[in-house]
Parts: sequence; structure tokens; C-alpha cells
Amino acid sequence: MILLEVHNKIIYEKIAQAFSSTDEKADNITEQLADLDGVIYHLTSSKKEGYVVLSISMNGYSQLVKFGADEVLRREYGPYIVEPESGYDFSICLNQQDLPATEEERDALYKKFSLLKRNLLAAPFEKAFIAQENKQTTEIMEVPYRDNESIYVFALQDHVTVIFSTEFKEDTDKIFGKVFLQEFADARRQPAVQTAPQVLFSKEPPLELRNLNTLRDSEDINYVTFVLFPRHYTEGPVREQTISNIPLFRDYLHYHIKCSKAYMHSRMRARVDSFLKVLNRAKPEVALDQIEKKTASGRTFRKFK
Amino acid sequence: MNLPPVVIDNGTGYTKMGFAGLKNHPQFVIPTVIGTREGNADRGNNLASKRGIEDLNFYIGDEAIANSKTYSLNYPIRHGQVENWDLMEKFYQASIFQYLKCEPEDHLFLLTEPPLNQPENREYLAEIMFESFGVKGMYIAVQAMLALAASWKKSERSNWTLTGTVIDSGDGVTHVIPLAEGYVIGSSIKHIPIAGRDITYFVQQLLRERENSIPPEESMEVAKRIKEMYSYTCNDIVKEFKKYDAEPSKWFKEYIGQHSVTKKEYKVDVGYERFLGPEIFFNPEISNSDFTTPISTVVDDVIQSCPIDTRRGLYRNIVLSGGSTMFKDFGKRLQRDIKRVVDARIQRSIELTKKVLKTDADIQSNAIEVNVISHKRQRYAVWYGGNILSTTEAFPKHCHTKAEYDEIGPSICRYNKVFGSVL
Amino acid sequence: MSNTLKPYLNAVKATLTAALCLENFASQLVERHNKPEVEAGSTKEVLLNSVVISRNENEKVLIEPSINSVRVSIKIKQADEIEQILCHKFTRFLMLRAENFVILRKKPIEGYSISFLITNFHTEQMFKHKLVDFIIQFMEEVDKEISEMKLSLNARARIVAEEYLKQFSG
Repeated sequence: MILLEVHNKIIYEKIAQAFSSTDEKADNITEQLADLDGVIYHLTSSKKEGYVVLSISMNGYSQLVKFGADEVLRREYGPYIVEPESGYDFSICLNQQDLPATEEERDALYKKFSLLKRNLLAAPFEKAFIAQENKQTTEIMEVPYRDNESIYVFALQDHVTVIFSTEFKEDTDKIFGKVFLQEFADARRQPAVQTAPQVLFSKEPPLELRNLNTLRDSEDINYVTFVLFPRHYTEGPVREQTISNIPLFRDYLHYHIKCSKAYMHSRMRARVDSFLKVLNRAKPEVALDQIEKKTASGRTFRKFK
Repeated sequence: MNLPPVVIDNGTGYTKMGFAGLKNHPQFVIPTVIGTREGNADRGNNLASKRGIEDLNFYIGDEAIANSKTYSLNYPIRHGQVENWDLMEKFYQASIFQYLKCEPEDHLFLLTEPPLNQPENREYLAEIMFESFGVKGMYIAVQAMLALAASWKKSERSNWTLTGTVIDSGDGVTHVIPLAEGYVIGSSIKHIPIAGRDITYFVQQLLRERENSIPPEESMEVAKRIKEMYSYTCNDIVKEFKKYDAEPSKWFKEYIGQHSVTKKEYKVDVGYERFLGPEIFFNPEISNSDFTTPISTVVDDVIQSCPIDTRRGLYRNIVLSGGSTMFKDFGKRLQRDIKRVVDARIQRSIELTKKVLKTDADIQSNAIEVNVISHKRQRYAVWYGGNILSTTEAFPKHCHTKAEYDEIGPSICRYNKVFGSVL
Repeated sequence: MSNTLKPYLNAVKATLTAALCLENFASQLVERHNKPEVEAGSTKEVLLNSVVISRNENEKVLIEPSINSVRVSIKIKQADEIEQILCHKFTRFLMLRAENFVILRKKPIEGYSISFLITNFHTEQMFKHKLVDFIIQFMEEVDKEISEMKLSLNARARIVAEEYLKQFSG
């Protein structure tokens, strides 16, 4: 798996299971689940009454609401929205009788539920894209989606800028991260991705963010800037795709840093084996002190221990 | 709000994983198998030529089996022990990022190990978890201990004990593991070479002798389905046979299968194999001439070989775990059989005492309480046990943290504090 | 560049072969003890002069002979911070498995990346020339491995970046 999946596999499978008539495993569920970026879900279902309730709690939900998350969610989940469960920010409920008739439609609906986190994060992006299309600018919208990390989105005259602040906790991560980010910045030289957004990274907060008072001053934070031009968010599937992919950047980066480390481990294991082979060649097949040495007359020496 | 810990139980056959939560069930139960591209598994010395990310091209679990035509399947765990750490690392990678979808840096992890695991294996696991994935903290628990924890009833908190005998029967092998106060009594562990797969073979063999409607290429699958759907444990085979012969219509079942290629339906009568399958635990000689010790005797032997002061506790709390202990009334039958063995021994010792003392006086002995505990969560008992422990408040304190690892190294995971007094 | 490697390794090989002239030597200080004198360092008269063979300021080998043991410490080339971290990771990985390597020391001497300790017991049980070969081969391959790891890291990063950005140019 190279790219991370946008939807949440557990939610998708669990909802499908809850409504499938053949699956004997489907019981009443009350589960607490997590997702990337500190999202917590609460999934409850009742087989008898035929409903599924999905609640989400997320860092920075209040900020997202400010940027119009409510509207996006209402558009996406309109008829399914219910009062949020206590301890959670937002809840949706699906009833058995509301299920669409065909298999495909139902599947699409389950998928939509499993995209809750993506849709929640979509608001600031949509706002910025629409503003820019109308040649307007927006304030800097900060989404503190993780404890020490934020996404900043804002529209300028001719493009939209998205800035990630991301933290590397370990020395290895810092260095691997730098290598990866450098490649992100250089990637546009490749013919295949020439039309991709420009990527910049720096240790210093970019000029636009200097005036924010929420910036954390830390050595371990890197700032990654994506410059999105209108071709990256033309309305329709292109825009949806961009909204899905951009927020996953941080997780994608960290996922691949981890994969690289795993790969290094497997290389090192192979190398250790080959070194051991070389070293074992130094050991004679019969231990040296067990070889019997004889004199011409047939007497033997034995090593005195 | 704190993010829930992640509980992963890697078994030989299946991996059970999920987030911990008070009412959670394992979110994924997938075969512990990984499908890699041909030649990836043993790259050996031509590592130099690899300059890409081919190592990300793999599948795990059911997806691996679905792609087995183009990917070669590997089983990284054999007999409960990890054999190939390279593959295991990838397996964890996909488990965490593709299946559970979580950022390991934010979560605590509870992982399991078989009894008598080597401390080196714990170090290797710690190396993977902390260095590759940078997990926040981790704890390695012994599977048998978790199985005991899974049998606790919420209401009877005072009865929570970590002393007991665990009978863990999966697909490949059955273990009988005694624990005292959370510590495995390693010298007394016994294995029984009878488990789920053997029952399936036995059922298959019985069906083959009688039914000719089953397509041969599907007989294994059919036997497995029949075992899972209709099998139960009986009290007495002879009586059971008579019962069947008296009222066949009541006891015989019919299984309707569908041929996977021709889509033709076929019918299979299900008869004596309903109770004969599970019976091979109690009378192994009916299917296997090499191993003839009934499971009740094995359990008794195990407990008798334990330190004398632990034996009462071990008899009192015999806990079942794993899919092959799920047969109806399995626990009851086992309890009865063990009780018989124990009572017979007590009777004998009373008689011997009488002989030695040359008296006819009535000698009483304290009866030994034998309890076999069955519960709803038996099938994935280890995972549920892990779930219970990782949702306790004390759990974070028991974890080895990333900071400790960075300070000291993998050796910290050689030792894991036993959950016990804190609960 | 690589034409300086050969004489460097040859020098290490010759020095090491000469130094590996070990005999059993019981401790003079503690009765019935037999310690590698180069580690104990308490009996000055059995310690020989140590030798540093250096290819450049980043790569050198320290050979410390004594009557019953030789300590070989290698400083592996680390040109930049990537190589530094990879080297650190790799040597750490090896040293965690020191039990299997018999002659590997669990900690390097200060200023070096990795150390070996060869005692008379090792030379009695193993072929001396093969032990020397092992050290030499180790030195050759460790450099190669680290630079390959670095290359593959860069290659991975490039593919990863491309794959991600490709999504936007569809």
C-alpha cells in the first residue's frame, strides 16, 4: 500500500455488517474507535431496532465550525444528522428503513459514513477554494488538528496556500523527514508531476504565518507549504480529490518515514545474517582443540585444561 | 479525551486486533498470513539491486489469500512463535496503517506472546514497535494470562484472580497452561496434538465413508462448516448413539451445500459426527492411535505437577480459550471428567490411609472444587483479556514508554510487570 | 578515492595479523581470574602500544594489542547527517545482537563507531586468518551498506513524493 486510504475501513465494514441480513456475526455493537489525527469515533448499533449511530470527536472541531463545517456536513449528511452524543462533537444516525434499495447505493452510503472525518476537514478548503474563484482573499484559517500540529489554509489573489506544521519527535525522524521533504520540494522537476502543486518547506514559519500568535516555537517543527492553483481545484471530482488528499499529507509523510525505517530494519537483518556467515567461516568444523594430534610413534597429545 | 490503546493478538492462525474500549470487540480478525511478490521473501544478498518501494507491495490477511495467485503466501508465525521478523514487521505496518488506521505515535499498544517466549523475541518486538513505528508505549502480555482475565465477571470484582489453568485450543494445537498469581508455571505446560483442524479431518473422514454427494474438492470446507454449525459435546457416546437410532428425525440434520463452480446444490445428512467430532478430545483413540490420553487426564496431570500449594486454585479456575473450545457443553463435560479423575484419586487415598492405619473409621477428606469456566467471549478470549487490562487505569503505568526505550534500549521489554495487585 | 582503500585495508590487515599473537595469561592481580588485559588495563607491562591507522579524518581504525587480547575499534565514514544516523542505527542494531557475534563489543570505544574484542580464547577456537578476514570484510561492507541505505532512502523519498503529487496532476 503506497497511498493511504481516505475512508475508515472499520466503520465501513461495521456498518455494512450491522445491516447485512446474512452476517451472523452482526450483533449489537457499542464501540469506541480511533482514526488518524486523534479522531475518536463512537459507533453504536442495534440489530433489533435497526439503526447505527456514528459520533465523532476531533481536535479543532470548534475552529472547523467557524470555517463552515456545519454547512458541509449538512450538505453531506443532511437527513441523517442527530443531536450529538455527550462527549462527542457530531453524530449521524442511519436507520434500516432509510436504506436505499439497491446494493450499490447502499454501499455508497456506507462509504459516505466512513468518510466522516474527511468531510469534517473539508470545510476550510472549500471556503478557500470558493473565495479564490471569486477573486477574494480569506483570513488565515488555522485548524489545530493535532496537539502540536496545525493546518493553515488561506486564499490569496491568484492561488490558495495550505501550510502544514509538522513535528518530528525523534532524531531519525527529523533526518528522514528532511530527506523526504526535500524530495517533495524537488519532485516537480519530474515530467510526470510537473503540474502538481508547488511544495516548499522550511524550519522557519513562512512569512504569512509570522504574525500569528499561536505559533509554537520549537526546533522540531517543520513547515510545509502547498501552493494550489485553480487547476488543482476546479469544481467537481478534481476538487473533491484534492480535498481528500491534502489533509492526509502529514499522515502520508509519517507513514512512509515509518515504512522506510521498517525497510532499513529488514536490510539490516539481512546484513547481520551475512556478517554472521562470514564470521562462522572462521570457526573450524571440528573444534580445534578436539582434533587428535599424533606423533610418529602413535602417541597422542591432549590439551591440558 | 485520551485515545484508546490498541490491542493486537497475533496467533498462529488468526490475528485479532482492535482498539480497546469497554464494550469493544476485536475489530478485525484476519488470518496471520502475508502475501509478497515472488522472490521478495528471501532477497538475500541481492539487496543492492533494489532501489524502489517494492517492499510496500504486499497484502495481509484475507486480501493476501484472495491474491494468492500472484503473490506468494507466507505465514510469519509458526507454533505461536514469530519466525520471520521481516514479514512480521510488514504485517504490523499494514495492520496499523491500513486496517486500524491510527498513528502509532499517539497510542499505547498491548501485544501478546505465547508462554515460554524467549526474551530475545520480546526485544525484537520492542525494536520494531519503538524504532519503526515510534509507539507511545507498549506492554507485552502472556496470552494465557489474558485468557484468565477474559473470564472475569464484571460484577464479581473480588473474585478476579490470576491463578488458574488455561486450556487454549485453536486450530493447530491445544495447550494446557497453569498460572499462579499471573506467572506461568513453565515446567508444567503440556501440549495436546488435537485441535480444530484434527476435528475437521475426523468429520471429513466420517462423511467420506457415508456420503457420496459431496464434491471431493469441497469436502474439507463442508466438514469445517458442519463442525462449526452442528457439533456439540455429549455425555455418553453409547447413549447418544441409541438416542439417534431411536429418533433419527429429531437428531439427524441436513446440510445444504452449493458447488462453487457448477452452482449445483447438494444435500448432506449430518448424523453421529455431530457429537463424535468433539469427542476426540475425550477419547482420542477413536481418531488417532498415537495419542490416547484424554484431555481431562492431561489437565489433571498438569495440575498435579504444579507446586502443591497452587493446586486447589488451579482446579478451581479452569478457563477455556480459543475457537475449538466453543462446542456446546464442552465445559460441562470437561468438568465432569476432571472431577471423576480427582474424586477417584481422593477415594483411593482414603482407602490407602485406612489400610495403613488399619482402621475402619470414617476418614473424610476435603473435597476439591473443580470448576471449568465457559463464557461468551471464549473464542477471542486472549483479545478480550487484553481489552480488559488495557482499559484499566493502571495500564499506562505498566507500559514501557518510548522515553524509557530511548534511555535504556530494547532490554526493558524483557520484563513486563504482572498485572495483579493493581487491579 | 577508492584507490586509497586498498592500502588502508592492507595496513589494517597486516597490523591486525601481527597483533593477533595471543597467549593465555592469567591475571596477576586477582587469583584465578583471567581477564582480557586490554580491557582490565591494570597490568601495564602486558599492554602493547596501540596503533591508529587512518585513511582520513573520518575513517580510522584503532588497534590496541595486549598479551591476551586485542581491541579493534573502527570509525566508520559519516559524510553527512543521513550517514551519521544510518551508521548509528546500523551499529546499534549489530551491537544488540553482539551475543551472536562473539567478538563484538556491546559498546564502542569513545570516538569510534564500533569495537571488537578478540581474546586468546577466540583465536584458539577460530582460525586467526579468517578472523582477520572477517574484520576486513566487515569494514568493506559496512561502508557499502551505509551508502546503499542512503541511496535507497533517497530513492524511496523520491517515489513517495512523486506518488503523492501525481494525484494532483491526474
